[in-house]
Amino acid sequence: MEEIRIGVYICWCGTNISRMVDVEDVARELSEMPGVVISKDYKYMCSDPGQALIIKDIKEHKLNRVVVSACSPRIHELTFRKALENAGLNPYMFQMANIREQVSWVHDDREKATKKAKALVAAAINRVKWHESLDKRTVSINPSTLVIGGGIAGITAALELADTGSPVYLIEKTTELGGNMAKIDLTFPYLNSARQIIQEKIERTEHHPNIHIFKNTVVDEIFGYIGNFNSIIGQNGSEIDLKFGNIVVATGLKPFDPSGLENYGYGKFPDVITSLEFEKKLLSGNILTNEGKDPENVVIIHCVGSRNRSEHEYCSRTCCMTALKYANQLRSAIPDANIYQAYADMRAFGKGCEELYTSTSRKGIMFLMFDQQNDLPVIKKAEPGDSCNMLIEMNEKLSGEKIEIPADMVILMVGLEAHEDAKKISHTVGISLDGNSFFMEKHPKLDPVATTTSGVYVVGNCQAPKDIPDTITQAKAATARIMGTIKQGEVEVEVITAVVNEDICCGCQTCIQVCPYTAITYDVVKGVSVVNEAICKGCGTCGSACPTGAIRSRHFTDNQILSQIKGLLSKSLELKEV
Amino acid sequence: MAKKEKNKIKLAIYWGAACGGCCVSILDVHEKLFDIVAAADLVFWPIALDFKYKDVENMPDKDIDVTLFNGAVRNSENEHMANLLREKTKILVAYGSCSHLGGIPGLANFSNREEIFKRVYETTESTVNPEKITPQTKYKVAEGELSLPEFYNDVRTLDQVVDVDYFIPGCPPQSERLMEVFTAIVSGAELPPKGSVLGALDKSQCDECPREKSENKLIKEFKRPFEIEDDGKTCFLEQGVICMGPATRGGCGVRCIEGNAPCRGCYGPPTSVSDPGAKMMSAIATIIDENEPEAIEKVIDSIEDPAGTFYRFSVPSSIIRRNIETSEKKAEQAVV
Repeated sequence: MEEIRIGVYICWCGTNISRMVDVEDVARELSEMPGVVISKDYKYMCSDPGQALIIKDIKEHKLNRVVVSACSPRIHELTFRKALENAGLNPYMFQMANIREQVSWVHDDREKATKKAKALVAAAINRVKWHESLDKRTVSINPSTLVIGGGIAGITAALELADTGSPVYLIEKTTELGGNMAKIDLTFPYLNSARQIIQEKIERTEHHPNIHIFKNTVVDEIFGYIGNFNSIIGQNGSEIDLKFGNIVVATGLKPFDPSGLENYGYGKFPDVITSLEFEKKLLSGNILTNEGKDPENVVIIHCVGSRNRSEHEYCSRTCCMTALKYANQLRSAIPDANIYQAYADMRAFGKGCEELYTSTSRKGIMFLMFDQQNDLPVIKKAEPGDSCNMLIEMNEKLSGEKIEIPADMVILMVGLEAHEDAKKISHTVGISLDGNSFFMEKHPKLDPVATTTSGVYVVGNCQAPKDIPDTITQAKAATARIMGTIKQGEVEVEVITAVVNEDICCGCQTCIQVCPYTAITYDVVKGVSVVNEAICKGCGTCGSACPTGAIRSRHFTDNQILSQIKGLLSKSLELKEV
Repeated sequence: MAKKEKNKIKLAIYWGAACGGCCVSILDVHEKLFDIVAAADLVFWPIALDFKYKDVENMPDKDIDVTLFNGAVRNSENEHMANLLREKTKILVAYGSCSHLGGIPGLANFSNREEIFKRVYETTESTVNPEKITPQTKYKVAEGELSLPEFYNDVRTLDQVVDVDYFIPGCPPQSERLMEVFTAIVSGAELPPKGSVLGALDKSQCDECPREKSENKLIKEFKRPFEIEDDGKTCFLEQGVICMGPATRGGCGVRCIEGNAPCRGCYGPPTSVSDPGAKMMSAIATIIDENEPEAIEKVIDSIEDPAGTFYRFSVPSSIIRRNIETSEKKAEQAVV
C-alpha cells in the first residue's frame, strides 16, 4: 500500500473563522497527526491563490490526500475537488471539515471553539486516510421528455422542448388542457385576458408535430433513470411503452375547500362563494346574486385557508392580487356597488403589483384589516329589516373598532393546496414532498427546478403556489436544463453509489425494499442482490440495512465513518471539561 | 504425560471465564480424539488432566506449539493465565465465542462488579447473607493467608488482553471444524494470515440456510419463537422473529436453524462487519413497516431483550463495549 501523505489546510475565511478559531494553533497541532505531511493556514483557501497553494503542495510534497478545513462542503467541496483534479489527484481523495458554520459562526468562546475545530479537523484527517479513488461515469440521454400535467406550466415546458425539435409526451389527467389558468378570466396585474393567452398555447400544443398528448391519462409507474426512463401508459384499452430521458412534473394544485370554516358559512349562505366560483361568473359575463340581482355590497375576504396554523401556514401568494383584480372588475361592472376588501396583510410584491394596489385603492374600495391568527370575521344572516342578506362582523384592526359590514355577495379568497394524489405522484417519479405536500426542489436557492432525482424537474404550482409569470419562468428554466443534457447526449451520474460484494452477499434481500430509488434487484441465478448504479443515488440506506456488510456505500464506508468518529473523539476528550 | 515423540506437536487447552462447553466440544470429536493424541502431546488441559500452574510456569518460552484458550477474561486468574500462555505458546488460538467476542459472560458488561456482587451475594431469592459477606482477594486464617482471584469490573475478549494468532468461533465451535483446523496445523500446511478466523466461512449464515428468503421483509411486530407457528420453511425474519443469521458468520452448518430455532449469533460477524449487533439493529430498523414515530416505537417495543438479542455473544468486542453510565467510577478503579 502506498504511503499516506496528507496535506491539511486551515482557512481563515478572512475574519469569519479566524475571529473565533485560533487557526494557526489548529494547523500547528494537527501537523503532528500520523500521515500529515504539511499543515498550513491561509486567508482564503477558496481563492485562486489558495487553490494554487494546494496544487503546488500536491506536486511538491507528493501529497495523495487533502483536508481543507473551512466553510460548509455544500459551498466549496466541488471547488477543492476540482483543485485536486487539476493537480492530477483523484477528486475524492479529499475531505472537508466545516469550522465556519459548525464552529466560528455558532460559538462565542474562542478557546473552546478552537478545541472543537481541532476535533473536526482530526476527524477529517482520520477519514481521508480511508478514501478511495472514484471514477466518473456517464449515461446516454434519450432526447424525449415526459411532461406530467397539461396546465400552463406543462404546456410551456412542452412547447419549449418541442420547438427545439425534441419529442415530448404530455400527460393530462383530465379531458382538457389548460389547467387552472383556463378557469380564470383576467390575469393580474395588467388585467389581460387569461383565456387569450392560454387558448393560443393550447392550440399550438395540440397541433405541434413533436408533442404527443395523452389526455384522461395518469402515469402509474416509471422505471429507469436519467436519460433512460420508461413508462407504460394505458391508452384506449391498449398499452403504449414510452421511453424518455427526462421528466417534468407540472401537476399544479387545487383551491382550498372552505366548507369546514364555520365562521364564513360557505355552503350555508348561497351568496358566499369562492374565488374560482366568482371567476365563473366573470367568464359568463353576469355578476349576479343567487336571487339574480346585481349585488350592492360585495365583501372580498382574504387568506381563507392560508396563513393560519389550523389550515395552511403558508401564504398562497396569488390571492391578494386576485382580490384587487376582482375589485377592479366589480367597479367596472357595477359602478355604484360598495366593495370591501377584508384583508389580513396586503401582499403586493412583484412587478406591477404595488401599482395595482395603489390604483385600486383610488377607486372607492374600502380596505378593512382583521387579525388572521386570532380573530377572523364572522358572516351572519341579516335581520329581516336590513337592506342586505348578510352581515359581516369583524374587529377592524386599524381603527380598533368592532364593525358590521353589509353584504349581498361574499367572495372567499381561498388558498391553494396540493392535490390529494401528490404523494402518489411523488412515489411514481421518485421525488420528495415537503410538509405541505408540495414537491421538493433540490435546493431552494441554488437549484430550484431540479429534484434530488436526476432527470426529474418540478415546475409551477406543484412545487409551491406562485403566479403565472413565475410558473412560466420555472417551466422555461427546467427546459433549459433538459435541453442542456439532450445537447450533450450524455450526462455524468453519481459516483458515490452503493456496491454489492457478491462474495459476501448472502441473498437475504433486506436491501431491496428499503431502496427509495428501486435501484436494487435480486439476481436469482447468483443468489445475490445487484445495485443498478445508474439509478443509485448513494443515499446509503441499503448500506445500513445490509446485515452482512456486503453492501458498501462508496465514500461512506464503515471504515471511513468509524475512523472519522474516532478522530473526533480523540480530540473531543480534551473537550470533556468544557 | 506421554513422552514427547518426534513430530508430535505440543497442545495446551485452557479455560478462562467459560462454562466448560468448549472443553467438552473438544471431547465431542469422539474417536478422533485418538487422532489428536497421536499427533499432539496434551501438555496442559485442566478439565481432563491434572496439571498445576507451576507446570506451565516451568515450561520454556514458546515451548507449546498451539494453545486453545476458551473463555473470556473476567478475573485476575484469567488474565494471569492468558499472559502466561501467551509467553509459552507459538500459536495462541482464541477458541469459542467467549474468548473470541466475550460471549455470554460478556453480557455482564451491561452491569458492573458492584451490581453483580449485590445480586449474587445479597439479593438472590435463595441467598441468606445478613452480614453481607462478599469475596475478598486475601483472607487470613490460622494456617496462613488464602487468596482468591480478583473479580474485575470489566469482561474482556482474549485479544483485548494478549496478542492472539487465530480465532475459532462458536458456542461451542463445531467439532468438525476443530478437526479441520487441527489437521491443517499438524500437517504443516501454510496457515492463513495472523488474526484470521478459522473454521468458518466468510459469508453469513443465510448463505447456508435452507429456508426460503424473499424481499418481503416488512415487519409490523416482532415475535419470540414460541409466538409463531413456524412453517419450517420461511426465513425467520419474514415471520417476524429476529434471527441473527444475516449478521453472523456461517460455518456452523446452521445448526440452530436446522433445529427450527433462529440463529443467535455465536459465530460472530462476517469479515465485512465490525459490530454485528449494531449492524443487525441497523438492518432491523430499515425493515420496520411503519412510518409514524409512535407506531415505530411500538414495533421496537415488541423486541424482547434487545441487548441480549443483538449482543448475546459480542458485548465486549462491540463498539459500545460496556455500560459506562452505571460503572464510570468502578471502571476507573478496575484493572483495565
